[in-house]
Amino acid sequence: MSPDSGLPADDESAVGGVHIKYLVHCPRQLWLYARGYRPEQRSDLVAFGEVVDDTTFTRRRDVDLGEAKIDWVTTGAVVHETKSSRAPAPGHTAQVRHYCLLLERRGVNVRGGVVHYPLIRRTTDVAWDDDARAEAEDTEAQAQAVIAASTAPDRLLRGKCRGCSYLDYCWGD
Amino acid sequence: MLLPRLLLGRLMPAVGRTYWLTEPCRIRREDNSVRIERPDGSPVRIPITDIRDLVVFDHVDVNTSALSLLSRNGVTVHILDHYGNHAGHFSPAESMSSATVVRRQVEITADEEQRLAVARSLVLATAENLRWALDTDLLDSALEALKGALPECRSNDAIMGQEGNFRRTAWAVLDSRLPPWLRMNGRTRRPPTNAGNAFVSYLNALVYARVLTALRSTPLHPAIGFLHADTDRRRNTLALDLAEPFKPLFAERLLRRAASQKHLKESDFETDVGRASLSKDGRKKIAALVREELATTVHHRGLKRKVSYEELMHLEALKVVRFCLEGTPYKPFRPWW
Repeated sequence: MSPDSGLPADDESAVGGVHIKYLVHCPRQLWLYARGYRPEQRSDLVAFGEVVDDTTFTRRRDVDLGEAKIDWVTTGAVVHETKSSRAPAPGHTAQVRHYCLLLERRGVNVRGGVVHYPLIRRTTDVAWDDDARAEAEDTEAQAQAVIAASTAPDRLLRGKCRGCSYLDYCWGD
Repeated sequence: MLLPRLLLGRLMPAVGRTYWLTEPCRIRREDNSVRIERPDGSPVRIPITDIRDLVVFDHVDVNTSALSLLSRNGVTVHILDHYGNHAGHFSPAESMSSATVVRRQVEITADEEQRLAVARSLVLATAENLRWALDTDLLDSALEALKGALPECRSNDAIMGQEGNFRRTAWAVLDSRLPPWLRMNGRTRRPPTNAGNAFVSYLNALVYARVLTALRSTPLHPAIGFLHADTDRRRNTLALDLAEPFKPLFAERLLRRAASQKHLKESDFETDVGRASLSKDGRKKIAALVREELATTVHHRGLKRKVSYEELMHLEALKVVRFCLEGTPYKPFRPWW
């Protein structure tokens, strides 16, 4: 995992897993991330996510696509993603769908995805069909639109910013 | 793998701590730890993830493997010379810089009007903070004069000149509250000529070092600033600029406090004819004083939590990032408490 901390994509125009996750969480976060403000290193929560990633599913290997880094892929092309969160969130499934889309563009016959939550020992299945594909393409387009915007999207309500490593930037005045 | 939430902060200090080396020592690498060997006593081992930066007050030996470990983990090493000047720093090869932000930073600072506006507001904020730190109304007229003169200034030199005038008045007021041996009698540096100046030099260098560390965790370039000349001796002009409004909070205020609490003694300084520096004990005292001060917290209304003085510098750097990315006007730091 570790899109949270993740290695940013080298190619600036490509949309990776982090972009999708941030878009769903808060478009402003995506806009700032795309412009090179990356405060994740200072966040305890992100560091925690990294530790969870390092200590779970240790026999699996990352699949590096360049713009995105998939946690691992099992036979029949099922995309797996680990999250340190204790509650499934829409961003997690959107991220997996995006990975499916990226794999499919590379000619892989994708069957679906799974999000793992090792802290609560649960998994969430992510379907991959025509609807999911349309949704993934739509999300990608939205992300590109946000990144291309000339002004930053507004802040969310203060309460929704809890745990976000961009909080100091957005509310520090 | 289930970690109790409470332990989280202690197990994984993503931010790390500042370590102050006040004695001669040797820094070595030992696995993924830093081993600090002092001439007396057993070596101290510090996990690399616990270090945010090192401030070196005395002679230190470092080797390449230690430096590469420090670099890989983003640790900055600041070196102060005998007289408390910032002699230089070692910073990691990778920086957080972002082309978008730096490009905007260059555009803003290249625009005469915008640059001077920020420079004026920095000087004014510094003057007001100085008045706040000295807690006096003797400076009111000088402040009024500064406010009147600033809009007339058309260059950085003129602005700095006005600041110089104000500071001379302020230091005279500060002197009147200090015991004779600690009086500054005008600011001197390189080297400072008396105990008061040596103290201020040290504190200013430390504030500068803290601001530089804060800047390195943002996408800004520390060398592109508003107020100080690009050719200024240390050339990290943005760090010099942002240090200005914080200097009164540390240097002048702590000098006044240390004098009134009789915390400093004449033996904490090594005074010679025409030059003064801190003694070994004096340096330790100052390091302890500053550490405590940096950890002092105040409530931040926007963030709705306590922030330390150290964090205030980081938030200040973020204001400049916001200025560059979104054009939000930059208002320099003023104590609100």
